[in-house]
Amino acid sequence: MTACPDDERHGERGPLLAPQPGFEGAVADVPPVEVVRESVQTPEGDLRLVSPSTVVREWLLERLFLLCACAAVAGVLLIFLFVGVRGWPVFAEVGVAKFLGGRVWLPTSEAFGILPLIFGSFAVMAGALVLGTPLAVGTAVFLSEIASPRVRAWIRPAVELLAGIPSVIYGFFGLLILRPIVAQVSGGLGFGLLTGWMILAVMIVPTIATLTEDALRSLPNGIREASYAMGATPWQTIYKVLLPAAKIGIIDAIILGMGRAIGETMAVLMVVGNAPVFPSGVGRPFSTLTTQIVMDMPYATGEHRTALFGMAIILFIVSMTLVASVRIVSRLGAQR
Amino acid sequence: MRTFAPAKAGQKRAPRQPRRRYSRLLTTLALLPALMLAAAVSGCSASGEAKTRLIVTGSTTILPIAEISSESFQKANPGARVLVSGVGSSAGIESVSSGSADIGTSSRDLKPEEKSLGLVDTPIAYDAIAVIVNPSNPVRALTKVQVKAIFQGRIKNWREVGGPDMPIGLVNRDEASGTREAFSKIVLDKEPFDPAAAVLPGTGQVRAVVESSPSAIGYISLGFVTPQVKALTVDGVRPSVATVVDGSYPVRRLLHFFTKGVPEPLAKRYIDYVLSADVQSTIVRDAGFIPITARTESGEQSGRKDAK
Repeated sequence: MTACPDDERHGERGPLLAPQPGFEGAVADVPPVEVVRESVQTPEGDLRLVSPSTVVREWLLERLFLLCACAAVAGVLLIFLFVGVRGWPVFAEVGVAKFLGGRVWLPTSEAFGILPLIFGSFAVMAGALVLGTPLAVGTAVFLSEIASPRVRAWIRPAVELLAGIPSVIYGFFGLLILRPIVAQVSGGLGFGLLTGWMILAVMIVPTIATLTEDALRSLPNGIREASYAMGATPWQTIYKVLLPAAKIGIIDAIILGMGRAIGETMAVLMVVGNAPVFPSGVGRPFSTLTTQIVMDMPYATGEHRTALFGMAIILFIVSMTLVASVRIVSRLGAQR
Repeated sequence: MRTFAPAKAGQKRAPRQPRRRYSRLLTTLALLPALMLAAAVSGCSASGEAKTRLIVTGSTTILPIAEISSESFQKANPGARVLVSGVGSSAGIESVSSGSADIGTSSRDLKPEEKSLGLVDTPIAYDAIAVIVNPSNPVRALTKVQVKAIFQGRIKNWREVGGPDMPIGLVNRDEASGTREAFSKIVLDKEPFDPAAAVLPGTGQVRAVVESSPSAIGYISLGFVTPQVKALTVDGVRPSVATVVDGSYPVRRLLHFFTKGVPEPLAKRYIDYVLSADVQSTIVRDAGFIPITARTESGEQSGRKDAK
């Protein structure tokens, strides 16, 4: 970026134009920095074209960005190691079957069964996807295919704003406004799956909608024109041509939405009631892996604390599976 | 890390971009006071170490009182250091009797085997827990046995205790809560709660849910009861400062400071400070407890109404 003035200088002088057509033809993921370095390393005379300070600066910046990338990777590795080391003993002490398959979570009485929590995490995620996906895909189709630029200019920021609202605000809204309404429908206090689904469905809309819109927009305009040329109506074009064509991107979006839903903690904590049991109905309290970790962390010691880290390992595995499946799906899409 | 590159670039370009020099100058200027402060603080603590220290440890319930009062106590008594920690009532009693703490705080009485340790008891506050329901609920009174059965999930409908035909919505606190611990001890005799009860992390949330749900029942410290919820009578006694002080309201306990024998001068000064009307009417009440001084103030009704 800072190399811009120098690049312009190269442009003025003839010889150095040579690598640039090659760059333009190359695949997009070759960073522009590469080009500059190539020009620095070309035989003799060309070296004068870049001042020594530029060479040093380029070198430093490259190292700096490498360091940034390493820091991110190191962060993930360190967290994984930390959680792994702290949580691993639970599988030996409690036993895999008793930990993953146990139906009673009562840490003060040495009962560490997280099956109800795993059930809670997946149940709340599944319902949120069922409610949230049509909402999000509909929003994306509207934004990408139907809305006029002026309407889009209002709606898109609003959708993006949804992603920026702190989750505790969602939770507060759910606890004080949504829950009493749900309670009238489902009986009980309104803590439970129903409230969790509604809150989470809204929370995953921005994730799915933004990515789906990107997928739709990346479709070449030619297929829209071809569809219209065949006499298809806008609606036929959308659901018979565009949505199938963007299928891979939409699946990616939904998987990332799943990740958001299963990892969400604060908003869920405030509306699910946090009872570590299998709920007897959609309006009855239950708990999830993430919320139980938050509830128990302040006072957990010894084996209980280890069990919480064990739950974190499960969450890690789930989210890694989700990320991996995004990659696999994308690769399948690229192969077609 | 982010500042690394511009700084490097700045070295080369300094003559052309004088602004960079200013920013470095500013950084230096900003750092100076911080350094001076650090030096001052380390100097302070060094001289503080040499003077008397007071170690206060024990109940996590009492932690807010001990911690906040220790701060103002240190402000009022320069040089004195009060180290407060919360490790549980039993550990507090253990620490003070073994001499590793000057004051052991406890939210329970001494057990028979602890009576012979030579500890001197100074009650500092009352902790009373109100059982609350929605104001629209016609139920006004429960016995302690009924409250226990409700929170254990053995009574599931308000009809069974003289109310309307409506399933009871149980609201419990999280296990880290001192109120839950006290409620479990006093009402449930440490038997387990109904595991299907909603568990909420905070007095405010419990109160908000009971306020808005006709079928809900929960429990909060008496000091946090507002007119938007209804406190039930337990065993026929209405919870109030008066009934807590005279001992007739059953869901109550005393908070204690224990010292080994007669307290040393600094410990004595700190205990007197906590017992002073000033601390009792501010810190103790704000923490949701009933001042021990309420014993002598007759006629006043329940604790702080506008609790946070």
